[in-house]
Amino acid sequence: MLFGIDVGGTHTDAVLIDREVGIRAYVKIPTDPDDLLGSIRQAISEILSQEKGVEIERFNLSTTLCTNAIVQDLLEPVGVIVSAGPGIDPHKFSIGNYYEVIPGGLDHRGTEIQPLDISYANRVISNLLDYGVKVFSVVSKFSPRNPVHEEKIAELIREKADFVTLGHKLSGQLNFPRRIATAYYNSAVWPIFDKFLDSVKRCLEEFKLSPQLNILKADGGTMPYNTAKRIPVESIFSGPAASVMGIFSLCDITEDAIVLDVGGTTTDIGVFAAGVPLIEPENVRLKERPTLVRAMKVKSIGLGGDSAVRVNGDKIEIGPKRLGPCMAKGGDIPAFLDALNCISDEIYGDRDASFKGMHKINESLRCPLEETPMKIVEQGCKILKKEVSEFIDEINERPIYTIHELLEFRKIEPKKIYLMGGPANILKKFIEKEFGLPVIVPEYFGVANAIGAAIARPTMQAELFADTEKKIMTIPVLGIKENISKHYNLKVAREDIRKYMSTYIRENLGWDIDLSELEIIFESSMNMVKDVFTVGQDIRVKCQVKPGICKDYENVVRCVCNR
Amino acid sequence: MQQVKNKLGVVFFPAFDWAISPTHPERQERLLYTMDQLKEEGVFDIPGIKEYKPELASRHEIEKVHFCFPDVLSNITDSHLISAGGCIKAGKLVMEKKEDKAFALVRPPGHHAMKVVHGGRGFCNINIEAIMIEYLREKYGIKKVAIVDTDCHHGDGSQDIYWHDPDTLYISIHQDGRTLYPGTGFTSEIGGPKAKGKTINIPLPPHTSDEGFLYAMENVVLPILQDFAPDLVVNSAGQDNHFSDPITNMNFSAQGYAKLTEMLKPDLVVLEGGYSIQGALPYVNLGIVLALAGLDYSYVKEPDYDPKKFQMDKRTMDYIKRICETARKNYFSPPQSDITLEKDGNWIVRNKEIFYDTSYIVERQREYLLDCENCRGILKIETSSSRVKNCLAIEAPLNCCEKCLNIAYMEYEKAKEKGYSHIQFIDRVNKKVFREKVK
Repeated sequence: MLFGIDVGGTHTDAVLIDREVGIRAYVKIPTDPDDLLGSIRQAISEILSQEKGVEIERFNLSTTLCTNAIVQDLLEPVGVIVSAGPGIDPHKFSIGNYYEVIPGGLDHRGTEIQPLDISYANRVISNLLDYGVKVFSVVSKFSPRNPVHEEKIAELIREKADFVTLGHKLSGQLNFPRRIATAYYNSAVWPIFDKFLDSVKRCLEEFKLSPQLNILKADGGTMPYNTAKRIPVESIFSGPAASVMGIFSLCDITEDAIVLDVGGTTTDIGVFAAGVPLIEPENVRLKERPTLVRAMKVKSIGLGGDSAVRVNGDKIEIGPKRLGPCMAKGGDIPAFLDALNCISDEIYGDRDASFKGMHKINESLRCPLEETPMKIVEQGCKILKKEVSEFIDEINERPIYTIHELLEFRKIEPKKIYLMGGPANILKKFIEKEFGLPVIVPEYFGVANAIGAAIARPTMQAELFADTEKKIMTIPVLGIKENISKHYNLKVAREDIRKYMSTYIRENLGWDIDLSELEIIFESSMNMVKDVFTVGQDIRVKCQVKPGICKDYENVVRCVCNR
Repeated sequence: MQQVKNKLGVVFFPAFDWAISPTHPERQERLLYTMDQLKEEGVFDIPGIKEYKPELASRHEIEKVHFCFPDVLSNITDSHLISAGGCIKAGKLVMEKKEDKAFALVRPPGHHAMKVVHGGRGFCNINIEAIMIEYLREKYGIKKVAIVDTDCHHGDGSQDIYWHDPDTLYISIHQDGRTLYPGTGFTSEIGGPKAKGKTINIPLPPHTSDEGFLYAMENVVLPILQDFAPDLVVNSAGQDNHFSDPITNMNFSAQGYAKLTEMLKPDLVVLEGGYSIQGALPYVNLGIVLALAGLDYSYVKEPDYDPKKFQMDKRTMDYIKRICETARKNYFSPPQSDITLEKDGNWIVRNKEIFYDTSYIVERQREYLLDCENCRGILKIETSSSRVKNCLAIEAPLNCCEKCLNIAYMEYEKAKEKGYSHIQFIDRVNKKVFREKVK
């Protein structure tokens, strides 16, 4: 059986899924932001009280712990040690209170152009240790091409520090400032996350459970306990990914589609391209700093149930701010949900208060009172439509680098909308009208996030880089560095990356992956020419395991929502 | 966080699947390390710098600039349509005020492509700057444009296209034509009879380094630009003046290129040549991007750069100063006499022989410019090459007078009877292109 739990900002949702009968139990409880573990414990106990004596195979957790720690600045001081070489002044990428630049540099092919100043590095490290710094992040420019400087610096610290993040182990993508920010946050959340994970493990033991413990990542994949302890930063922003994965498992999506998850403060827009959730290798921003964390392509817009409604001239404006709860829930300012409440068959909270809100809005609007809520809802749908089409345009504008891609470019054109969130059922017909597309509100959408967490499986991306002039092949995130012959080619590179990734996934992520799931998403092999002679090949292969759901559970959760 | 002074759009199209031949300088690998450097520096994450993808230029955009024989398609590949389209995209970004400046970091280049095209010359088939400029003129109504060509090779194609156009100022700084392809670009080349002083050549001696280039910028280019007061400044940013370039002999540096860009303040920058793909391009392109955006570029240095190695001696500097003085005079008081001027009735005539080194084609031209009092005059070119013989080209330029336009149509009708193998007639006034293939 699978246990999925999404500890969100307001609610904690949990679900228990059986391989034979599907969803066995689910709960939705308020999250106690000061005691996430308490919320988890409560959710487990409520589920177990519904279903006694169950055997749980996998316990998949999506948590806001790291996101909150970052937002609230509950971060461990990190010693960030970088080496750069020529380019943009590395001091411009400074992050945290202990940022140090060590002389030394590599060029774009990973060739050392300035040796690392080891004695300077030693001085810096002993100073930082004197200040009481316990965790470190080490990043060098072009380390995915050659990790030698990161490794050398790490060697100097390893024995003396509690935890060290190496930049090249996070991603093989080139982006020095992002690597710095990602490595910084990884170390900064490590102590709090590490402690939390151990207490979740103890908590499961208290319930006499010993499942495999997995953490949900922002790209909709899972990582096991051991990996999560090494790269906690990957656990950020897993909430929206959980929802998209939920829809993905509930509905049989085969074409371009969008997911709208209408929450209290925001609506999250997710995108499916030919039935596959769209992920972005570099998406997540933390405190304005872009990172290398792979994430679902999700856009949050400031339009949710509690978004304030006001009239400006003769125009209705909704959001992007939330000025307290909606009036139905005791707020003072009419909100989007109040309008929905007035036209819905289902009554939400204090409906009279919602009507009062409509009166208030109607004062400055020249239209009959009874039309006011409708007008507001229609305006809300207009905003959603505009935001969705801007988002799709932006995705379709992504840069491409080959003639083939430019001529063969396939634009994303959504054919269906999957709608979820509290007011989904009321909004359905309005969204349908505004977008002119079929709208589907899946069954169980209220706990889709927990279902998504439960049924998600590992994801991964790795980059292989081979230089047959230097006779070196590397896969940075796997820490692989091999000598190759000058005859090494793209075909062997493809085989190599598949081989190394599947071994890693089997041994470290506990999943026996089918080779067909390892998808080559980029490959190139170019002649390197010196004077007029070809001296070697520059070979690059990028391979991913895209987000997916456990095949043996697919049929039992799939609802008949595609009608 | 770095703060840009100018919002910058970069149209980046490295054409990773296109080469002239596997080991040719213009090959797949050319912008590979530039891409790596720009990505590793996180350039496109800097707020105010945005990456765009190119559009495809249409055949019409090419046909209204070039006379292509036997036709457009046999002279180009998809890659040319994309690099020209990339420039158009960059131009649109600036004209529509989406960005303050734009950089078309595209390949293949274009500045050796002349008005008439029979094949490829100097790695170029169509002139991507000219196609962009004429697109912008037609769409946004701009008139005066300055092209400052900082490629190491003389941009003989751009010079040829704008030779008779008084509204386009073409300034080229390059390695002396006596020592490098294409062997032209001397100070005596100053534009056609109706556009004297609107072509300015600054041929610099081999081994010129930052000091010499920046001297020419400050003492020739900037004062001329200030006087010409163009609506748009385009920089043909070849990067082969670099000290590590394998096919040239200059000593310019990434710092020098960035400084030049900062001084020039171009609206649009188009990549031209530059074939030191590992040692120069990653740093020069980064320097140009940062300088355009108004960011600090002081740490952008080639690993092997040592300014002491490239100091210029006084004798060479004195020579450069003399060249610069001549170039300045060519603009502010161009010599009026022209000993090569040949007339045939009302037509001013020029004979040209052109070699297409990339395609290995020889072309012979006889060019006629109608001497009109009211406008710059229509252009008629009889051209034959080792590939296509006996072609005729007629152009009625933008803003040409009614009388000339009528003559152009009459010439076109007359030509149909004369047994040319191909005729192309460009009517810029009515935005029409006619093609006639007589067999």
